[in-house]
Amino acid sequence: MTTTVDAVDSPDRPDPGRTGTGRAAGWSSRLGSLGLSAAAIAAAFVLGGILLALAGANPFQAYADMLSGTFGSRFDFSLVLVETAPLLLIGLGLAVAFRARVWNIGAEGQLLMGALAGGAFAIYAPINSRAVMIPAACLVGAAAGGAWGWVVGFLRARWSVNEVISSLLLNYVALRTLEYTIRKPLRDPVGFQPVSETLPDPARLPDVPGLRVHIGLLIGLGLIPVVAYVMRRTPFGFHTRMMGLNRDATEAAGVRTGRLITAVMVVSGAFAGMAGILQVMGPESRLTGNISPGFGFTAIIVALVARMRPVGVLLAAMLIGALTLGGDVIQRTQQVPRVLTIVIQALFVLLILVADRLGRRSR
Amino acid sequence: MTSIEPDPPAQSRGSGGSGSVPLVAMRGIAKRFGSVTAVADADFDLHAGEIHALLGENGAGKTTLMNLLYGLERPDDGSIEIDGEPVQFRSAHDAIEAGIGMVHQHFQLVPRLTVAENVILGTGEGRRVRLPDLDEVAAAIEDLGERYGLSVSAASLVGDLSVGEQQRVEILRALYRGARILILDEPTATLSPVEIDHLIERLQGMAAAGTAIVMITHHLDEVMTAADRITVLRAGANVATVPADETSPLELARLMVGREVSMLSEVGEVEQAGATATSTSAGPAVLTIEHLSSASASGTSGEHARDFFDLSLEVRASEIVTIAGVEGNGQAELEAVLCGLGQPAAGRISLDQTDVTGATPRQLLDAGVGVIPSDRYRRGLIRGLSVAENLVYDRIDRAPYGRRLWIDPRAVASRGADLVGRFSIAVRSPSTDASTLSGGNAQKVVLARALGTDLRLLIAAQPTRGLDVGAIEFVWNQIRAQRDAGVAVLLITTDLNEVTALSDRCFVIYRGRLIETPLDREAIGMAMGGAGSRAEEAAVL
Repeated sequence: MTTTVDAVDSPDRPDPGRTGTGRAAGWSSRLGSLGLSAAAIAAAFVLGGILLALAGANPFQAYADMLSGTFGSRFDFSLVLVETAPLLLIGLGLAVAFRARVWNIGAEGQLLMGALAGGAFAIYAPINSRAVMIPAACLVGAAAGGAWGWVVGFLRARWSVNEVISSLLLNYVALRTLEYTIRKPLRDPVGFQPVSETLPDPARLPDVPGLRVHIGLLIGLGLIPVVAYVMRRTPFGFHTRMMGLNRDATEAAGVRTGRLITAVMVVSGAFAGMAGILQVMGPESRLTGNISPGFGFTAIIVALVARMRPVGVLLAAMLIGALTLGGDVIQRTQQVPRVLTIVIQALFVLLILVADRLGRRSR
Repeated sequence: MTSIEPDPPAQSRGSGGSGSVPLVAMRGIAKRFGSVTAVADADFDLHAGEIHALLGENGAGKTTLMNLLYGLERPDDGSIEIDGEPVQFRSAHDAIEAGIGMVHQHFQLVPRLTVAENVILGTGEGRRVRLPDLDEVAAAIEDLGERYGLSVSAASLVGDLSVGEQQRVEILRALYRGARILILDEPTATLSPVEIDHLIERLQGMAAAGTAIVMITHHLDEVMTAADRITVLRAGANVATVPADETSPLELARLMVGREVSMLSEVGEVEQAGATATSTSAGPAVLTIEHLSSASASGTSGEHARDFFDLSLEVRASEIVTIAGVEGNGQAELEAVLCGLGQPAAGRISLDQTDVTGATPRQLLDAGVGVIPSDRYRRGLIRGLSVAENLVYDRIDRAPYGRRLWIDPRAVASRGADLVGRFSIAVRSPSTDASTLSGGNAQKVVLARALGTDLRLLIAAQPTRGLDVGAIEFVWNQIRAQRDAGVAVLLITTDLNEVTALSDRCFVIYRGRLIETPLDREAIGMAMGGAGSRAEEAAVL
């Protein structure tokens, strides 16, 4: 995993598009790298079409079905947005981490811990006002996710424990912790399933007016410019980019990289944790063992396809959200297994890596 | 296993002189890498049964010449003959077939395999479906080890062995493959003094048994004890080949640094005279280093060549103090400690009488310490950020560039434009990506960032490495200007020209220890080669 991810952002291919003040020089190459992503995505769809044909479907019809089944109606589009919301939030946090070359593979666990802590808070806190409850639960979720990320950052900064391994393994710890909690302390006393009781009303997210999607999406959208600003215009963002480009020089310049790594892990964990509690307060309405169908892992693809750019994260999250739903659609209409769309997602990443290599060679 | 050729008559040591057909004859060898000429018209002879030392400064072309013999590189010009037959090696494999073995400075061993496994690795024996019988290999290795006094347990894991033992494994591997010509690149660089003595003894034993040995080194003392003949390379060409018993460390040092440059050294001395005048006007001590060590153990074996021990020196305002030395003698570790990137094991560093031992890079920056790091691309430049950002990145969270929560891009840009102008950095615009900079301009960025503010102390490590003449002159002038403006300058360099061009006082670091030397090329050259005790002798001469 490390080598794969490394290839996306290896230091020998500096990208002036990242430079805050180097804007004039940055635009052309930013377009170039967008073009690269677009070409890789297109190629992935072509290869995916071949796979669809091999599976016995008409690829053109399949893609048409996907398109109409996801963007065809306001209802379907709402479903896409429901998928997009957690991917967007987690992807933003991972974009920050990956930009620093801190490879957080533990967003899934951070999401679950955010869901667990935020969910427990929402169930037990005697708050009757939605306007207080929702932000408070979000903060609790973000804090829990951030704390889960902090463990990884601390281990890396203190004892150089590889964050890929520790963050990955902590996913399982988080999942089992959640499963235990909903079987014992938080189990719905009147139900038979291992799930918590339903969240009280003040902790239920309202929908975005006119769409059937919870307001968590708006939180994600609102954070896009915030992340973009922080990365470009604050010392924290600057140091994060510096560290991602050249850690030794960053250290020599007096930045305490151990602390910075920890901070970056806390930030990306907090985004995932907030995504977790929003899933609980939104679509799920209670704590269950399968709050997340792997959002934390899919968001890695989102951040990489977006090339760690905040606006790109939104587009990539929508694309992959649509693709996931599209899988369900073609399973119905074309009788092909929905996992084919997961293959296409994987092809995105593979082809972007290839395109990245080719782009580098042509320079 | 070792094929000791019966025909070359030179069986006794030191007889590798004229007459017999040399085992290896390299004639008119040239090798260029791009625009850099690494080897230019070099000749080299090697006879069976001799230890032939290849001596020269960093970058003199020693390793390149031997890489050509070992088939790792192909010469652009010239011929190589083995036993009088012309050869053209396409790879190291061909060279091994011809009986040549090379032990690189950085060992090429797999720590998690046993000695026996490492020895057969890459011989082709393992390439077949069936692995060779490791017991047989082990027996052969232990047999060889016994014969040459290089005993090492064939069953032990390489990772468990000491550096000296690992080197034995490398030598045994070459012998196991039938090497009758053994090339050792800086074999003593990482060894303790006891291990060095042991190695030299073994090599002499092997030579007596007919093996021809090439030893690449900077160390004059070792050359004098170990070698039968010595070839001195300078700037890619051989300047002389002399029998060891007809030369002296002083002559070798002179050959290494060059006669024509001793005129240069006079120029240096003229400058030095001027410099001495300045240095008498040098102010109070700015940097004081007392008994600084990177490792607690000292003196005896177990001492690692990269560590430094018990260093004390003082750098006053308005003077340039130089630490000269061949790379790998502890200066990189010293640089790291002085820049706040490493902790010393013992000793004290003070700046203006204030203890700054263990201070962070940030604290040093705030105290007025500027750093030009030896590896500019690793520690001094961030490719992917703009030139302007590179010029301020160490103070981006300070006014006027930024506060805690925001950065002012206009302040960054105007500072960038200002420094680009002041240091004449050739770049289209300050917002250009720093990865587009040439080496000289990259170094100017590093320089501009460090020197763009008022300093108390400048630590300049290898400030002109890899730069062209024009850029070197620029860097030197900037460093002199700092000195003249009252800054204390500590210069760490491997380049003798730089030492004589800039120093007010000079120390040589050799195997982690400092020796104060007079500002004389030969004395410095000798001390860099480890003949420190004879430095005063040289000064008298």
